[in-house]
Amino acid sequence: MSTETLTVEKPKRNYNVLFGLTLLALLVLLWIALSLATPSFASSTNITNLLRQGSMIAILAVGQTFVIITGGIDLSVGAIVGFCTVIPAMMINAGWPVWLAVLATLCVGLAIGVFHGFGIVKMGLPPFIITLATLTSLRGIGLLMTGGSSISINNDAFQEFSRNSFLGVPNLFWMVILVGVPAYIFLHHSRWGRYLFSVGSNAEASRLSGVNVSRTIYMAYTLSGLCAAFVGVLLASRIGIGNPTQAEGWELQAIASSVIGGTSLFGAIGSVHGPLLGAFILATINNGANLLNVNSFWQRVITGALIIIIVYFDGLRRRGK
Amino acid sequence: MTSPAAELHPAPDIAPGSVILELRGLEKKYPGTHALKPVDLAFRTGEIHAIVGENGAGKSTLIKLLTGVMPRTSGEVMWEGKPVALATPHEAMALGINAVHQEVVLCRHLTVAANMFLGEENVRYGLLQQRAMVRDAQKIINDLGFDLPAHVMLGDLTIGQQQLIAAARATVRGTKFLIFDEPTAYLTRKEADQLFALIRRLKSEGVTIIYISHRMEEVFELADRVSVLRDGTYVGTRNIDETDDAELVRLMINRSIEQIYHKEHFDLGPVILETKNLSGKGFEDISMTVRSGEIVGLYGLIGAGRSEFVTTVYGRHAKTAGSVLWDGKEVSIASEHDAMRLGMALAPESRRDQGLCLNLPVGLNLNLPIYKRISRNALISGAQEKQQAERQIAGLRIKTPSRHALASSLSGGNQQKIVIGKWLNHGARLFIFDEPTVGVDVGTKAEIYRLFSALLSEGAGIILISSYLPEVYELADTLHVFRRGRLVASHGFHEASHEEILSEALEAAKQKHGEQP
Repeated sequence: MSTETLTVEKPKRNYNVLFGLTLLALLVLLWIALSLATPSFASSTNITNLLRQGSMIAILAVGQTFVIITGGIDLSVGAIVGFCTVIPAMMINAGWPVWLAVLATLCVGLAIGVFHGFGIVKMGLPPFIITLATLTSLRGIGLLMTGGSSISINNDAFQEFSRNSFLGVPNLFWMVILVGVPAYIFLHHSRWGRYLFSVGSNAEASRLSGVNVSRTIYMAYTLSGLCAAFVGVLLASRIGIGNPTQAEGWELQAIASSVIGGTSLFGAIGSVHGPLLGAFILATINNGANLLNVNSFWQRVITGALIIIIVYFDGLRRRGK
Repeated sequence: MTSPAAELHPAPDIAPGSVILELRGLEKKYPGTHALKPVDLAFRTGEIHAIVGENGAGKSTLIKLLTGVMPRTSGEVMWEGKPVALATPHEAMALGINAVHQEVVLCRHLTVAANMFLGEENVRYGLLQQRAMVRDAQKIINDLGFDLPAHVMLGDLTIGQQQLIAAARATVRGTKFLIFDEPTAYLTRKEADQLFALIRRLKSEGVTIIYISHRMEEVFELADRVSVLRDGTYVGTRNIDETDDAELVRLMINRSIEQIYHKEHFDLGPVILETKNLSGKGFEDISMTVRSGEIVGLYGLIGAGRSEFVTTVYGRHAKTAGSVLWDGKEVSIASEHDAMRLGMALAPESRRDQGLCLNLPVGLNLNLPIYKRISRNALISGAQEKQQAERQIAGLRIKTPSRHALASSLSGGNQQKIVIGKWLNHGARLFIFDEPTVGVDVGTKAEIYRLFSALLSEGAGIILISSYLPEVYELADTLHVFRRGRLVASHGFHEASHEEILSEALEAAKQKHGEQP
């Protein structure tokens, strides 16, 4: 039995690894091509810059992936990021210690996620609707709080953080690792992670198996809100202002990263490493297009085409299996 | 056989009694099941031909083949003497073959008129002639003697009224061959009478009717001839005035009891579960006990309230009256979670909808109820996860390449074993199996039954719901018959005959019909 099992186990394992490696290869290929095409790409300033650009979307994509695995979607993450640049800005300017401001902001993200869970579980609203509603309301609330203007943050140490590096790697990228490693353990090695998959695959069967489906849905949206609030703090630190209109369209970039990373929008299929790679592939394309003086409008077109191509080929392969 | 005139105008002029549709060795195989063994049968123009048989006898397979929903495995179908492929629903409809299904398959959010003309809308200059369509639809409905408005949303009508609309719709489409699949399941007696009037009228216009029903009295009321299917085999056809209830029932169930039921009798232990006068949605006043080592069989027609009863016991729905006792103590079971904690397990009727996460691995499905137990501080022990899954795969002989294979890649029988296996892992003491062998081949059935014995020998109790009489008959220590939400009879092992039990399950319909003049 065991030998038989072992021999057949490999192809399946290989499939996931293979997909990850394909994405990694695509990323490396892009980097090589861009290094050859433009001298400025391989410079350390540019690479550092690219890592900073990609990091925030990468963290958003991780939270987004949890939600998509349950078969849902979180359209509000961009708005949460914008809103969560305002919170720490106001608190720090009001003299709160930075750690407390960060903690409070994370709690705000948490609360928004809980609200989404409430809307979906208790009010029976479709995830698309409730998160779309929060998207527009949060921007509005942020604008009301700031009176429509940006708030400059009067704290150099707070802003230093996102500019500095540790061991030659930008701090923002370290944050991806800080989020990514626990997220990986959570999704692939904890029972909560298994429940995310099972709810996304068949909520009714999961419920009949004793899985607390409501709690699982709350958890997914709460984690997504938390990730978005964390990105909000990082963005506030990076740009040094609080402005609720920031991060426009980031939810779509996060969804795109997730999907490029192999997450199925029908739920029950996804990983943590995939969306992370997906986010950096997107960041590389944008960065490269800038360096090559490609009209920035084209970047959007390229991103769209890339989503179609990758998802189409992934679908072909899954069906072929 | 056909006159020259008939060749010019084939539809209305075929003489009654000539053959419109002939099956020659029509056969359907699924992987692992022989759903329909070769059938030779001829339908005459303008007859009402009833088809009877138990669930799983092959009736729905036959309909799907005739309406082009599924391709046949082998055999020929002759339509008006010419072979036809019947490869797509479109082809069947173009020939004039239509079906009215048990479940209404129309658009609930469109008006009655829009549904009547769906796909054949009245269009002038590219614009829908809405008012004309409502007027025409109303005329058709009135002509048929139905008192229904054509301009309302279909969803605003009762299921029965929708069923009448579905039937009326078939009449306006040049239908020559109309199949009714259990059309009266949701109808009131009045609606059923209207439907019967419609069917007779269609017959008088030369339409051939296939009428599929469980209800014997309807068959005798309507049909000219009746054919019997049993276990996918065509048993025979009788003229309606040359047969009776008893003969049909005998033909339906008179099968050699296969050697697949290995009934072992265990010493019955203490009562595990007892319900006292339990009532809820879909059933009333049910009192029964399940003892350790006992299989309690629940037999009845679909919709008799058996599934509602067990899901209520299992905490899915709230009870409205009565009580549930577990180990002799009254318990309140407010959710499935409570039921599981007590030690109940439910293998639901629809494993695709309720039992399995199909696009996830076999191992994850097997372990789903026990992740709490095999993880510490929320982190799963990989070794235990592997061990538990592989123990069940080996013990149940689940045919899968590995525990990482997706549940969807397995055959129906092996999927069913996963559903059962996950509860073995969980260590339950009372197992509820709702139609555990639907769509499962004989070999897997036998393995599932052996599994029952293994559970009983360990002191568990089993509630077995089945609409397949031999299964409950051969396995249940106590057999309860459900009819229209009530427990109408109870028998010990082999205490009553098949015929008695089947007539107990059917009787209500007969009596109710008898009351109507």
